[in-house]
Amino acid sequence: MQREAAIREPLILGDKSYKDITDDVVGPIQGPAPIGWKIMITISSIIAVYGVGCILYLLGTGIGVWGLNKTVGWAWDITNFVWWVGIGHAGTLISAVLLLFRQKWRMAINRSAEAMTIFAVIMAAIFPGIHMGRIWVSYWVLPLPNQFGSLWVNFNSPLLWDVFAISTYFSVSLVFWYIGLIPDFATIRDRMTKPFAKKAYGLLSFGWSGRAKHWTRFEEVSLVLAGIATPLVFSVHSIVSMDFATSIVPGWHTTIFPPYFVSGAVFSGFAMVQTLLLIMRKGMKLESYIHVKHVEYMNIVIIVTGSIVGVAYLTELFISWYSGVEYESYAFINRFSGPYSWAYWIMMTCNVISPQLFWFKKIRRSLTATFALSIVVNIGMWFERYVIIVTSIHRDYDPSSWGEFYPTNIDIGVFIGTLGIFFTLFLGFARFFPVLALNELKTILKSSGENYKKIQDKH
Amino acid sequence: MANTKRYWSGLDELHETEAFKTIQEHEFPETKSVDEFLSDDRIESTHTGRRDFLKFMGFSLTAATLAACETPVIKSIPYTNKPSDVTPGVANHYASTYYDGQDFINVLVKTREGRPIFVKSNGRTGIGRVNARVNASVMSLYDSARLEGPTKGGESSSWATIDAAVKSGLEAAGRNVLLTNTIMSPSILRSIETLKATSNVEHVSYDAVDYGAFRAAAVVDFGINSLPSYQFDMAETVVTIGADFLGTFADSIFYAERWAKTRRPENGSMSRLHAFETNMSLTGSNADYRTMVKPSEQGKVAAALLSAISGNSATNTLSDVANAAIQSAATDLKKSGTKGLVLAGSNDLHTQRLVNAINAALGAVGTTVLFDHEKGLFQGDQAAFQQLLKDMNAGKVSTLIVSDCNPAYDAVNAEEFIAGLAKVKTSVSTAMVADETASRCGMIAPNHHWLESWSDLQIEKNRIDLVQPTIAPLFDTRASGLSFLTWCNADAGMDWYTYLRSTYNGSYAAEAMYTDREWNEAVHNGHMVMGDRVTETPAYTGADVSAAISNVNKRTGGSFELALYQKTTMGVGQHAANPILQETPDPITKVTWDNYVTMSHSDIDAMGLNGFIGQEAPASVVNIVVGDTSMELPVFPTPGQAPGTIGLALGYGRGANGENIGKAAFQSGESGSFDTDAEGNLIPVGANAFGWARLNEGLVDYTQYDVRVEATGGTYPLACTQIQNTFMGRESIVKETDFTSYFSERDAKKGSASWNKLITLGVHEDVNADGTIDALDNKPTAAFDLWHEHAVEDVGHRWGMTIDLTTCTGCSGCVTACHIENNVPVVGKDEVRRHRDMHWMRIDRFFASDYSLKKGEEEGTGVIESYRRMEDPALNPQTVHMPMMCQHCNHAPCETVCPVAATTHSNEGLNQMTYNRCIGTRYCANNCPYKVRRFNWFNYPGYKKFGNFNPAQDSLMRMVLNPDVTVRSRGVMEKCSMCVQRIQSGKLEAKKDGTPVADGSIVTACAEACPTNAISFGDLNDKGSNVQSISQNNRAYHALEEIGVKPNIFYMTKVRNVEPTQA
Repeated sequence: MQREAAIREPLILGDKSYKDITDDVVGPIQGPAPIGWKIMITISSIIAVYGVGCILYLLGTGIGVWGLNKTVGWAWDITNFVWWVGIGHAGTLISAVLLLFRQKWRMAINRSAEAMTIFAVIMAAIFPGIHMGRIWVSYWVLPLPNQFGSLWVNFNSPLLWDVFAISTYFSVSLVFWYIGLIPDFATIRDRMTKPFAKKAYGLLSFGWSGRAKHWTRFEEVSLVLAGIATPLVFSVHSIVSMDFATSIVPGWHTTIFPPYFVSGAVFSGFAMVQTLLLIMRKGMKLESYIHVKHVEYMNIVIIVTGSIVGVAYLTELFISWYSGVEYESYAFINRFSGPYSWAYWIMMTCNVISPQLFWFKKIRRSLTATFALSIVVNIGMWFERYVIIVTSIHRDYDPSSWGEFYPTNIDIGVFIGTLGIFFTLFLGFARFFPVLALNELKTILKSSGENYKKIQDKH
Repeated sequence: MANTKRYWSGLDELHETEAFKTIQEHEFPETKSVDEFLSDDRIESTHTGRRDFLKFMGFSLTAATLAACETPVIKSIPYTNKPSDVTPGVANHYASTYYDGQDFINVLVKTREGRPIFVKSNGRTGIGRVNARVNASVMSLYDSARLEGPTKGGESSSWATIDAAVKSGLEAAGRNVLLTNTIMSPSILRSIETLKATSNVEHVSYDAVDYGAFRAAAVVDFGINSLPSYQFDMAETVVTIGADFLGTFADSIFYAERWAKTRRPENGSMSRLHAFETNMSLTGSNADYRTMVKPSEQGKVAAALLSAISGNSATNTLSDVANAAIQSAATDLKKSGTKGLVLAGSNDLHTQRLVNAINAALGAVGTTVLFDHEKGLFQGDQAAFQQLLKDMNAGKVSTLIVSDCNPAYDAVNAEEFIAGLAKVKTSVSTAMVADETASRCGMIAPNHHWLESWSDLQIEKNRIDLVQPTIAPLFDTRASGLSFLTWCNADAGMDWYTYLRSTYNGSYAAEAMYTDREWNEAVHNGHMVMGDRVTETPAYTGADVSAAISNVNKRTGGSFELALYQKTTMGVGQHAANPILQETPDPITKVTWDNYVTMSHSDIDAMGLNGFIGQEAPASVVNIVVGDTSMELPVFPTPGQAPGTIGLALGYGRGANGENIGKAAFQSGESGSFDTDAEGNLIPVGANAFGWARLNEGLVDYTQYDVRVEATGGTYPLACTQIQNTFMGRESIVKETDFTSYFSERDAKKGSASWNKLITLGVHEDVNADGTIDALDNKPTAAFDLWHEHAVEDVGHRWGMTIDLTTCTGCSGCVTACHIENNVPVVGKDEVRRHRDMHWMRIDRFFASDYSLKKGEEEGTGVIESYRRMEDPALNPQTVHMPMMCQHCNHAPCETVCPVAATTHSNEGLNQMTYNRCIGTRYCANNCPYKVRRFNWFNYPGYKKFGNFNPAQDSLMRMVLNPDVTVRSRGVMEKCSMCVQRIQSGKLEAKKDGTPVADGSIVTACAEACPTNAISFGDLNDKGSNVQSISQNNRAYHALEEIGVKPNIFYMTKVRNVEPTQA
């Protein structure tokens, strides 16, 4: 068994046994739904239904129900898409990259983070679909053999790369998440008494019996999938950024975008993980497993990625001046001084200045401050995408077509609606799925559990 | 003789074999009969399995379901007897002539399967070039507001009833009056003469816009009642005092083309245009020197110009700026001498007399100004009309016939007319729609639409222009001339065509119809010429203008002065129900679907009104008080508007009392229903300003010297297609220079002249081989190419276009032509306001700014503030009109980003848009540097919001759609196709003839409509073609060349004829 230095903070607080872990995770699934959960899912599903209504109205009437116009062809739709994809990144980073780096603290958060990834990618995937003028022929973006003549997709188009990137990312994340769930489903199955639930979890657990051979295969598959998922963390958002980087629009046409987008994605993803977990640990009484140390680790990731993002912003500004390109320099001057300068300064404040507060240990370890700042970062990252997309195209080359974008109620409704769907899915996850990777947690109980550390100290 | 032939079905039958006989005995050729089959015992042991049963059930159910589905029935009825000259799919063109009281022009009408769908200039044999108004006028034929037959008291009636009522009306005591606009048809005039002679009818005519002062001044000064005809092609210096001769002034339709002939710098000389005006007009925006003067100062300008030319140094009260401009204009005029030309737009006798004096002093009468050139336009007699109004109100008029005019809307004192009309016992109108006047008349005897009727028009003494029908009358209408004849019992059972023919051939008989070669030729050409034109120059007899000078110098204005004007797109309101013209942006303000008060930025700022009008930035509403009337109107900040003045367009506010003049004339809401005010009345588009014209010395003056402008605090949204007015110093979009600079480098190699330098980028290699790598080492942008060349150079066709910014006046004729040709959706005010206009062809209008980055650097303003100031146009800016459409880039940024390859490059250089393949990601539009791609945000041909104005949603107006062009569905991108349907048909024609495509045989709608020939279209690979040679001209450049997208559209550097320091 692995040993850990005594001075390291324990990852599992309190006097926990293996059974306690199982009880803590599976207990809420077995028990009746708490009232708080019922209230939350009611609210979120009402919002979700409203969002679905807005989407149906959009699909029935036309893209014109959004505020887009001849100059600004993308606004909230693609902003939301990039924002949601970005949020998804934290889950994969936590489960794959941190797995490869043998970061044990990920075990408390990886399950929910991965669930968040899956749901966020689903939310993200809604937007490229519904932003199309003719969603009923959206399958044309797939290189399917067809009888429309020799029609094939355009492999030059970054939107097509997006299709591949997002679908690959989604499938790998889903498989990875599910593989991790199998032993935990089996644990639940074993504890379930009601026949239907037992049968359902039995099906979900794919006949897991906990044999050593199963565990070996489980470990191997996890490692392989982590290997596959790790490059995806970087590729997906790089490709998303190429939607902009390969265009000729000043403010989009920027080679710095791939790394800038990836760090931004991780940045926003961790912020969203913080938002969700801080609520969840409280609601599901998981304070022993997800505590200040975890939060602090994540805050450190936020400082690092936030600073990378800040450097990227400043680099963009510098290069726009240094390039001497008239349109490029105007695009950035317009960004911080034009009609959308308010959005730019919201972005700068939220993304560059606010995470720097985490240099203070007190703030870094304060759950309230972290929760507040995680929301600030999420707002800031949404505005980052908005600033990049809208302020670049609203005043590009030809001044005669300069214009502005004003969101409609449907723009807002669809976005809020995806938040509703997302939280509905996440609440469903919290209710019926093992929210912690309990079997993995058990592997670190004896090395990083508080009581075991104390025992260690005595000897 | 009986037929003995015998037919047999096989050798067996022929030979009557036994086997054949046996088979013949059975009903069925099978060996078993039905009875035999059923009596077979074994049949009971067979069974239909469950699977077979389900299969049969499934099949039956599906078949029954499918049979129950109704297949859509498309009602297309084939010809029983095909007309000899109508081939489905092939267009026919007919020569005709357009005249609506304002515009007169020879046109060609394109018909498809018997439907007129396009009107263009009859350039080959006719005179004039169509403008936006004429171009779009084909829509009015299909207006669903047209009357379907005669009406009496608002109820549909019969011709017999109407005729009887009018006849009895004419017999009653009192004045019988026929009120018309200027009638130019000899045949209608002939019928009116008959009416006058037999029924004691007086004929009174007036014009919606009065030009009486021009004729009156000509009578005084030259002894001839004639509108002056200006020969712009002869002029070297043109001075216009408020006359918008490129847009709406009098017979402007003839002038743009002639003026443009003198504006080609390649000729080695250019005419110079000085404009003194109040509102920024189309002409002012094209002027080399433009000076802002108030309406009360326009006469003074004429007086000062006269004294400057005749060498007097009379003092005046004009500003120093205006006086300097007058001196410079006088210098140019004197230099040009007989080739100078002065004209004024004001309908003021004194001003016109001063203008005559100037032209006479220059010796220009006879060269640039002709009076003998009798034009029939604008013969209205305002004095007679005013007398008629008095008589009507006094109850002296018993019968009033109104034809081709709408005094209840456009008379200067329409209220008086309306009040008087109520006192007229018998009133009848020949209007096509129940307009403001017709709906108040007792009866309406609707006339044909001009596209349905025969007519003749005389604009010059020796020339008759013909109107021929291009479609059978859609409704139960009757030619107005025939109505006149009927009402005086002189029709003798004749039809109108016969009457028309007999005007020219007293012995005309119906059989001659097909044999009269001369007539057939005249119909084919659209006109006939009778003898030579007699030219004589009348002597100037009006030497003493001191009275006129003292009159104009006495004029003073109040805090604000008002100048009424016509919009290039809307004229005097005859096109109010035309959705395409309503949606065509005004060339200066770029506002659609409204009229508004134009005001200088300085006044706007002083009054604290909104200086920026955008999607969510509505215009301020002000209360304009003229005498004892007032209206609340939105204010549009207009650069070039003289401070202390406001402008207001005529031609709006049609149907103010809910008259059914056409759906597009009223404001519609988002739900597709009409907007209504608090009382439930329909709200017309814009406001009627005719009431603010004033009677002055018996003439109508379209100015007010003292109006009050009061801020109300209210706002009103205006729909603008362009909200950024300056080009932000982006000189690779707009290139311009002055004529002197052009002339000194006129032989420069393309790309080397200082005013059109090839854009190059620095590279890190020793390009110029001077041993060092430095800032001088540059390569043209073409050297930096990411993509493989499309094989378009010198391979097959390569369609391209050149657009001359020097001769483009911004008239917007190309915009409407493109709109109609390509079935471009009309989207209405709300969508235009949301920046979603669908124009494939737009005209970018850039005003110059006083500020530049260079100036900011000199003044130490800083870049950010400099850019901000560059967004504001100058108070009296120079203007550039830049037609912009898809540039058909050879390295198109839109093509690479489409995920499904819906937009691709043709091997003929076209950037093609495949609607069927488009999934609507809009990525292409985002990536288009010219922003010419248009997205179908809604199902325009079906969605309720567009029901009141989209032609495709009106069962009648749908007829105007071009069958060669797809009506796009929602969710797809569209854009200029370079009229690919015309290219294809042109190539087919050439293929059928077995010849190469001849230069000029294919022409796009925009190029065809351009009155100044600023747009040329053709094959860039055709070495002898016009477009190829223009594209090699040293003025030719690509907009935004440095992006390297390699367009197939070339712009020609704009050359202004100004002194180098003022360029």
